Amino acid sequence: MLVNEIDKTKITRDDYLVVQNLKTQFFTSKGIVKAIDSVSFSVKEGEVYGIVGESGCGKSVTATSIMDLVPDPPGRIIGGSIYIDGFDIISDTDKLVKITVKSETDVKIKRNKRLIKRHNYIISRIRGKKIAMIFQEPSLALNPVMTIGDQIIENILLHNMVSISESIIRRETIKDQDLDNFLSEASAIKNHSDLKRYVQRWARDFGMPDIEDSILNVLSSNAAKPFVRKELVELIIPQRKGVNINIFKETKDYHDDLNKLLDLNLKLLNSENKADTAGIARYEQEVKNLERQMRTKYLTFNLKRIILKKTYQRVFQEEARRRAIELLKLVNIAGPERVIDSYPHELSGGMQQRSMIAMALASDPRLLIADEPTTALDVTTQAQILDLIRELNKFTGSSVIFITHDLAVIAEMCNRVAVMYAGNIVEEASVDDIFTNSKHPYTTGLLKSIPRTDINVARNLRMESIPGNVPNLITPPTGCRFNPRCQHKMDVCEKSKPKLVDVGDGHKVACFLYSDLTDGDN
Amino acid sequence: MELRYYIIRRLLLLIPTILGLTVLTFLLMRAFPNYQLVQGYINPHSSIPVSVQMLNAEKALGLNYPPPVQYIYYLKDLFLGNWGQMSTTFYSGPVLRGIEYFFPNTVQLAIFSIILSIIIAIPLGTYIGARPNTAADQAGRVFSLAFYAMPTFWLALILQIILGQDVIYGNPFGIFPIQGSFQPTSINPLHPPSWLINTQLGTVLSSPTHLILIDALIHGDFAVASSAFMSLVLPVVTLTLTLLAGILRFVRAGMVDAASQEYVKTARSKGVPERLVIKRHIRKNALIPTVTVLGLLFASLLGGVVTIEYVFGYPGIGLFGLNAVLQNQIFGVMGTTLIFGLILVMANLIVDVVYALIDPRIRY
Repeated sequence: MLVNEIDKTKITRDDYLVVQNLKTQFFTSKGIVKAIDSVSFSVKEGEVYGIVGESGCGKSVTATSIMDLVPDPPGRIIGGSIYIDGFDIISDTDKLVKITVKSETDVKIKRNKRLIKRHNYIISRIRGKKIAMIFQEPSLALNPVMTIGDQIIENILLHNMVSISESIIRRETIKDQDLDNFLSEASAIKNHSDLKRYVQRWARDFGMPDIEDSILNVLSSNAAKPFVRKELVELIIPQRKGVNINIFKETKDYHDDLNKLLDLNLKLLNSENKADTAGIARYEQEVKNLERQMRTKYLTFNLKRIILKKTYQRVFQEEARRRAIELLKLVNIAGPERVIDSYPHELSGGMQQRSMIAMALASDPRLLIADEPTTALDVTTQAQILDLIRELNKFTGSSVIFITHDLAVIAEMCNRVAVMYAGNIVEEASVDDIFTNSKHPYTTGLLKSIPRTDINVARNLRMESIPGNVPNLITPPTGCRFNPRCQHKMDVCEKSKPKLVDVGDGHKVACFLYSDLTDGDN
Repeated sequence: MELRYYIIRRLLLLIPTILGLTVLTFLLMRAFPNYQLVQGYINPHSSIPVSVQMLNAEKALGLNYPPPVQYIYYLKDLFLGNWGQMSTTFYSGPVLRGIEYFFPNTVQLAIFSIILSIIIAIPLGTYIGARPNTAADQAGRVFSLAFYAMPTFWLALILQIILGQDVIYGNPFGIFPIQGSFQPTSINPLHPPSWLINTQLGTVLSSPTHLILIDALIHGDFAVASSAFMSLVLPVVTLTLTLLAGILRFVRAGMVDAASQEYVKTARSKGVPERLVIKRHIRKNALIPTVTVLGLLFASLLGGVVTIEYVFGYPGIGLFGLNAVLQNQIFGVMGTTLIFGLILVMANLIVDVVYALIDPRIRY
């Protein structure tokens, strides 16, 4: 099967992210850098997907393309599709800009400002909410003039207004029935860590995350049930602030409608992409209707929000702050109440990266992109951060794309691995297959260049390395981009580009050693 | 809390700085021969012979002691407010009183132009800095480079030609007076206001603040007030344009630099809307280098003030000092130097405190 030609209908339900034929280029004064050349892969729900390769092979550009964060100018995604949760977020990429290439150094880029504005609106509501990213150098990736707390709270307030409003409403209107349900469900759970997770979720849903530990203590004390109930009530009563819940109801409705609007816009975008005129007309009308409705429905709400700005914001700030402390606890930061008010420079590298992760998790993203998250950290911290990411992957069930140049980290972390070279995926397989049964000469070379004391010292061998360097991507080698460094080079390698083909069990490789010599792009 | 201690420590550090300043002015002053120093103390119309007057003055100033002792006398005089006498065609009398008369006008010019240029430069710099290499940005850069490079006096003259009143030939756009702090024609000749003092030397002073605009408003004389306001426009516009150009350059450069930082990418990856990325993440960081150069720009503003006051005949400390220089009034020169030095030291203190306020990485 040719992987490059996956049909859209074949996107399975459990593929959270599907990237197809992604092309990203940088239009520089020296020429066009073909940084990503037709990359396709998919990430399943809950999976840790590794991308490995030398520096400059396009790992980070792939990640930034998925987030649509390629610095423009000079970079642009020029083609392909990125499906997140079933929606192609870059389907309109050729409508946003018209690129006319006269020569390598003479490229005219014409931007459609109106469409770019809509695209940015949609993408900014997907970023952080559905996909989050952590970066290589936490000391640079955190804003130096904002406290850790402010940076996490910013993220929480951007995406979680509905759930915050809901939890405040639940807290203020908590009923005996809720408490009884909670007690009966909690008593059914025998496993302590499951119970802890359940209590955590419940406390958060009911807007009282700070008393989660106390609730757990009460539950674990083997007291009689009525007594437990009484203690719980005593814990919960002081949590209720007696605020007017109307404003939260309105906030919830407002943000619900905003989300609806986003959904409609995505559907509209999809119809435009398929040139489905009926769909376009329908969704355009629906977007217009909803916008009109919202204008009248929230007129007083918006006025109230402007007039009561301070009071309105304060309640949400407080709630978001409690959640931020929760998140810092989740990433095992000691003393979260202190850390939340510190500035990034007051923390160690490991703590900074943990805060970064807490920030990324603020809105329960279902995909986390980790771009070399441990490269800048020392070895012991690295191990802790890797453990943390793995734990969170299990705990939250979100997928992770893990980018690194370190094969040892890949072996430790990932389920599946893609090996990238010069803007192409050259091999993709399960982590076991990559290490025990690598096919592509580049992968084999990478594996041989891992420093090993057991073999190299014993046999008095020197460590092997792949001769040559990553090619200049303004003028990449013709055919297979690896051919100048390949030990198994054949004539066909210079003429035609091998496609990524399945050689069994989902192990895919792009090399003429494993495919029909005629099966390539000229 | 910590910031309060930092400010107190910085204030204490002011003492040695100011003492150093006085040493400098003292040494500069001693570079002149005695007969020049005491010139302001000689009254040629007095019945006492000039040589006796000179001796008395030397004695009063402690000039017959060795220099270190003289310095102590000098310090004592400074603290007691006895900054020496001067007599020029612009002002005659005690130096300190002259400073009291003319300094407020300079402060008024400086404050108006600083506030104006900051409230224009920061939003404008944010706007163009967030859109590097667009037409708006290019226009902004040309504007700021042009006015930054333009000599202040030349800009002042050009503005006078374009917008200044021309009583002889007439100027269609000439709505602003080009000389003085107000126009004497705005005074009602039948009832000259009592709060205006004519110094007989061509300058008119007002009480109680010595700022004609404010004093006229206090006394409800709107004709004089509007005339004073109109007279302020051209000097303030000149100073503002120069200062604005400088600040704009740094805000823009800071914006472009901050926009390329990794934390901006982080903010975008969180889904922060572009408007807030610019306001919350880029601009906050861009203002840090801007504040640093504000101190330096302030020094150049003081230099500009002297020229501006001369070109516009505006009775401020710059014109006061310039006259002292031209007419060999050493005490007047030293008084001006001391005041300029004090302003610079204070401006740097304010810049440092603001810097500590906006950049949490500063250790104090």
